[in-house]
Amino acid sequence: MHREYQNAIAIFSLFVILLVLSGVMIFIEKIGLSVEDIMVYYLGSEEKFIQAKSFQGLLKIVLPHTFAYGLLSMVLLHFLIFTDQRNLRRSKILVFVIFSSAFLEIVSPFLLLRGLEFFAYLKLGSLIVFNLSLLYVSYLLAKSILDSSK
Amino acid sequence: MKFTLVKNLSQDPLMRPILLGLLLCIALYLVVDLVVKHYGFGISPSAVNLTIFGNEDEYIDAISRTSFLEFWHMEIFFIMMILLTLCAVFIRLSGGRKRDKIIMNIMLLSALSSLVFLALGYFVSGHFIEAYSVLFILWHLTAFYMVVFSIRNLYRA
Repeated sequence: MHREYQNAIAIFSLFVILLVLSGVMIFIEKIGLSVEDIMVYYLGSEEKFIQAKSFQGLLKIVLPHTFAYGLLSMVLLHFLIFTDQRNLRRSKILVFVIFSSAFLEIVSPFLLLRGLEFFAYLKLGSLIVFNLSLLYVSYLLAKSILDSSK
Repeated sequence: MKFTLVKNLSQDPLMRPILLGLLLCIALYLVVDLVVKHYGFGISPSAVNLTIFGNEDEYIDAISRTSFLEFWHMEIFFIMMILLTLCAVFIRLSGGRKRDKIIMNIMLLSALSSLVFLALGYFVSGHFIEAYSVLFILWHLTAFYMVVFSIRNLYRA
């Protein structure tokens, strides 16, 4: 990796960690980390006086996230090209896992609204996989920078 | 990105106006961000404290935890993307001097730590807000310097 870019990429990785942390905090604050919480948040609950989410309401949340997920994933993953991870099978798997988990994370609430409760599990699973994958790529980048500066 | 493939950016007739446009947009963002924050969230410690914690005497409600987290989340995303773009251009246009690297690191670290201090100010203690305000101004100033420096190098013969 080019030495002048190393610091910028290392600090960018720290930003990613902060972004993942803030995203998870919002998720816990607004929805909760259990499948039941997710179902209550999207499908509503008469006992808890929570209205079900509307299709338009979901679109408002999804629209900026679609672009942001794609951009963040592309920017973070393309740094792997400058590391020794470039030609590894693991990197290709990571690309697939990150983009497909981002897609599932975005799509699953719509399917949950259609009454398919299985997608509450998928929402939670894809969120966890997406965030952990981002953290793992950040770790790989940091490790590569540290190794090359030795 | 295309400009990583062009060897001499300042001599390229197409990349030069493209990068000028990008740098002017970043400069505009930095100025507008200061103005919007001044009239909205606040820049000075007292204004930020008022927004976050409210004031009973003035009947100003504190910001909710969800609203704060959403604001923080968006700030992190915007700042990381804008500063990474600025760094990519700045690195290509600076001569790789030590001073330039230091300035870039100051900007990145002050932006990162300003966001950390903002969260600490909300969740731990209001005293961290002062550090946030100082670092917020610092990263804007250093980013603006990097924009001006990049434009100067772009048009230097």
